Amino acid sequence: MSSESSKKRKPKVIRSDGAPAEGKRNRSDTEQEGKYYSEEAEVDLRDPGRDYELYKYTCQELQRLMAEIQDLKSRGGKDAAVEIEDRRIQSCVHFMTLKKLNRLAHIRLKKGRDQTHEAKQKVDAYHLQLQNLLYEVMHLQKEITKCLEFKSKHEEIDLVSLEEFYKEAPPDISKAEVTMGDPHQQTLARLDWELEQRKRLAEKYRECLSNKEKILKEIEVKKEYLSSLQPRLNSIMQASLPVQEYLFMPFDQAHKQYETARHLPPPLYVLFVQTTAYGQACAHMKSSQPPRQDKTLSVAIEGSVDEAKALFKPPEDSQDDESDSDAEEEQTTKRRRPTLGVQLDDKRKEMLKRHPLSVMLDLKCKDDSVLHLTFYYLMNLNIMTVKAKVTTATELITPISAGDLLSPDSVLSCLYPGDHGKKTPNPANQYQFDKVGILTLRDYVLDLGHPYLWVQKLGGLHFPKEQPQHTVIADHSLSASHMETTMKLLKTRVQSRLALHKQFASLEHGIVPVTSDCQYLFPAKVVSRLVKWVTIAHEDYTELHFTKDIVEAGLAGDTNLYYMALVERGTAKLQAAVVLNPGYSSIPPIFQLCLNWKGEKTNNNDDNIRAMESEVNVCYKELCGPQPSHQLLTNQLQRLCVLLDVYLETESHDDSVEGPKEFPQEKMCLRLFRGPSRMKPFKYNHPQGFFSHR
Amino acid sequence: MERAMPQAVPLGQMEVFQALQRLHMIIFSQNVSPCGKFLAAGNNYGQIAIFSLSAALSSEAKEESKKPMVTFQAHDGPVYSMVSTDRHLLSAGDGEVKAWLWAEILKKGCKELWRRQPPYRTSLEVPEINALLLVPKENSLILAGGDCQLHTMDLETGTFTRALWGHTDYIHCLALRERSPEVLSGGEDGAVRLWDLRTAKEVQTIEVYKHEECSRPHNGRWIGCLATDSDWMVCGGGPALTLWHLRSSTPTTIFPMRAPQKHVTFYQDLILSAGQGRCVNQWQLSGELKAQVPGSSPGLLSLSLNQQPAAPECKVGSARGSGDPGRPGCVDRSVTTLLPLGPDSRRQQLQGGCLYQSGLPSFLPVLLTSSNTPTSISGV
Repeated sequence: MSSESSKKRKPKVIRSDGAPAEGKRNRSDTEQEGKYYSEEAEVDLRDPGRDYELYKYTCQELQRLMAEIQDLKSRGGKDAAVEIEDRRIQSCVHFMTLKKLNRLAHIRLKKGRDQTHEAKQKVDAYHLQLQNLLYEVMHLQKEITKCLEFKSKHEEIDLVSLEEFYKEAPPDISKAEVTMGDPHQQTLARLDWELEQRKRLAEKYRECLSNKEKILKEIEVKKEYLSSLQPRLNSIMQASLPVQEYLFMPFDQAHKQYETARHLPPPLYVLFVQTTAYGQACAHMKSSQPPRQDKTLSVAIEGSVDEAKALFKPPEDSQDDESDSDAEEEQTTKRRRPTLGVQLDDKRKEMLKRHPLSVMLDLKCKDDSVLHLTFYYLMNLNIMTVKAKVTTATELITPISAGDLLSPDSVLSCLYPGDHGKKTPNPANQYQFDKVGILTLRDYVLDLGHPYLWVQKLGGLHFPKEQPQHTVIADHSLSASHMETTMKLLKTRVQSRLALHKQFASLEHGIVPVTSDCQYLFPAKVVSRLVKWVTIAHEDYTELHFTKDIVEAGLAGDTNLYYMALVERGTAKLQAAVVLNPGYSSIPPIFQLCLNWKGEKTNNNDDNIRAMESEVNVCYKELCGPQPSHQLLTNQLQRLCVLLDVYLETESHDDSVEGPKEFPQEKMCLRLFRGPSRMKPFKYNHPQGFFSHR
Repeated sequence: MERAMPQAVPLGQMEVFQALQRLHMIIFSQNVSPCGKFLAAGNNYGQIAIFSLSAALSSEAKEESKKPMVTFQAHDGPVYSMVSTDRHLLSAGDGEVKAWLWAEILKKGCKELWRRQPPYRTSLEVPEINALLLVPKENSLILAGGDCQLHTMDLETGTFTRALWGHTDYIHCLALRERSPEVLSGGEDGAVRLWDLRTAKEVQTIEVYKHEECSRPHNGRWIGCLATDSDWMVCGGGPALTLWHLRSSTPTTIFPMRAPQKHVTFYQDLILSAGQGRCVNQWQLSGELKAQVPGSSPGLLSLSLNQQPAAPECKVGSARGSGDPGRPGCVDRSVTTLLPLGPDSRRQQLQGGCLYQSGLPSFLPVLLTSSNTPTSISGV
């Protein structure tokens, strides 16, 4: 291309003929100067463009010359040699020009390079400077953000609010005129105020500390005094113990009991707390007497505290133990069969185990007889049981028929209707029993005590009727709600039992012990006599032919006590089968009669016998006597004697039989018979002393 | 164990008292309502209970329908006697007779319509009224009882018109001779007296205990029941149950029943009697025992015939009891239609004023084999 371009430019060069001449002249100039200076200086003076024209021109000239030489040589004339020589000289000149141009070019190149280098260095320096500046900017920016993000301590300080600040701070701190417009100054001022305040508080704190120090010292002194007092007090306490005992003020004991009570299982604890509270409340209510002097209710805890404490220790992997023992058991059963029964026995014992602590409750009645109740808690069955014992102030001669009256087994039976205490109140127990093959709790009741429902309620345990549930929590309110009624019932029960006991003792000797305040219920002369009073079994009672109605009416349950009385007058013998409900005397004893006189007469064949029964059974309320009507049984028996008298004396005389009547009529009667059923006048009218019909 | 244990129902004080009261209840009187669908029963506590016969005797009778529809306290003392007029129920107890409207009885809270007391001589105790007798021809009521007199009360005006006296002891029972206006009364003194209502005089006296054939001195003299039909009279009590011919005053038949009878009535050509013992006895006039219908109660004090043809399904003669007094057997007398022999045969019992079905399967319903329509007693 360059050749092409050069070819194109050729004509141009040719056309501007003046240029080479000019170049020549320029050349001569430089040549002149080069005398003194190196060519380097010349370079500056010369125009590279011209040099380039010159170069092109020279090259064209050379080419032309070469072409002419070649032309000449090829023609090969004689004059050719001269011409060639001429031409060769011309060429040499051109070559010289070329050489010069070459040198110039080199110098120029070198110069250009130097210049470029120089420029580059300058640029590099500038670049570096720029970098430095940029870095500086970045650094500064970072600094700025750092500054911006700087968290001052004062921001964490909870300053008082602005209004408060201007209100409270002294003007030399707040400087309202300066700070109002300038938030910075404002903050500073507020901080100042804060500092001021804090200084004051610190001052106060120091004061308080010193104060505290002072008080501590005082306390120390007092403590020392108190600790020195303790042994003295102890000695006084020791000395006062006999006095306490003498005055029935067992403060010390109570304190110890509370300590022990902490180890009671929850139900027993509830029972303990509630009974203690109730006992104290009762003592307070009787404020007319000196307080705590007559204590009708006393509570105590029995049993080993250490064992109870041991129970609270974490069980030693009982789960594993169990599974281990299970596995072991399997093995042993394979090896030794006979031990199976023993193991089951052990399991049963484990299940029926009771808590080592028990609560003793002594309920004192008016006549100084005491009901001792011991409450136990069966840990694995989660039920409570009670054992009862009655002691009396005076030694009792126990009549044979009264055997069951005060026996621990039955004295509290059916305190509430149907609560015979022979089956477990916790439905969940059934499943536990099934596992170890216990058929019924009834067999263990003598050992363990009775799990009456009221006992559970006193302990705050409430069991649902049907469905078993495992989370039964001891509840104070349940216990409290039942406490008063139950305690009253217990007292009434003991008193009625003791009253019965007393009555039985006389009844066995054929004496009907009518008290003087009940005397008005009966006429002065009663001829019929009680001759026998014996206890009979439930089965015997149900087999009697004249008790069918009572049995059918469901009034002869196996929780009742059964007796047979025999009343005699002359040849007439009146048998009376008695059902004594444990709820005596609120539920009356029920009499069934059978008269042996001129044939056997029962309520089935004699309306009057039936009427006599209804006199004692239905109209018992007249016979209750003074409250709490413990004399009911005696009065009923006495009434029965009176009724027999009336029955026998009013029996119509058989005209055909010779001789006087066996029972002459001594009672005053208005009429002998009355009404369609020919009733006899069984009703006794007290002050007048005559008998009439009801 | 404890699951399987038979659990007796625990009895509280109230329940025991109620059970005893029920056990010692005596139903003294009963009366079928004029419509024949209801039965009123009075007991020794002075209560009157109304039962629905149609409900209790229907084939789908439930336990509930055998209980009284209404019970109310009518008297302070026992209700010894009751009779029904067309609209009223008259009940008598100690000294007083009270009237109740049948139409209102079935509503709750019914009040007595009126009460009357016969003029008694002052006495230490108020004499009881043992028997009531309606005399339809005169529209009057005869009361007899403890004061040994027969008092006649005019039902129109409510005044006591006359008193007949002659008995020496209290009167047990009354009977009306329908043809002639004569009334028979039997009492504790052992005499049956025949009174003429027109002249208010005693016409005839039969002292039953004086006749050797029927005298039973160990039972006493008292005449406890009395029934009459034209010239015939049957009476019993202390002396044996005897059929008398009135005109000749001679005992014709002595029925071989040892226990004293408390109620007797003619029924068609039979005599029904009840008393000590569990059975309602049916006698031929000749003295043969035709049948005995056992009840649950050991003694019966009254029998009542439902003679209303209007309610054929409720033809009931009922016997009320003493003895096991709360439970008078209610003898169903409608013959073949109502109580066929078989597993369906049921006996109703009243206990404590509640009608219930007994568990005893042995009731023999065939009392009166001949008739489907029991009517009033006709000639023998």
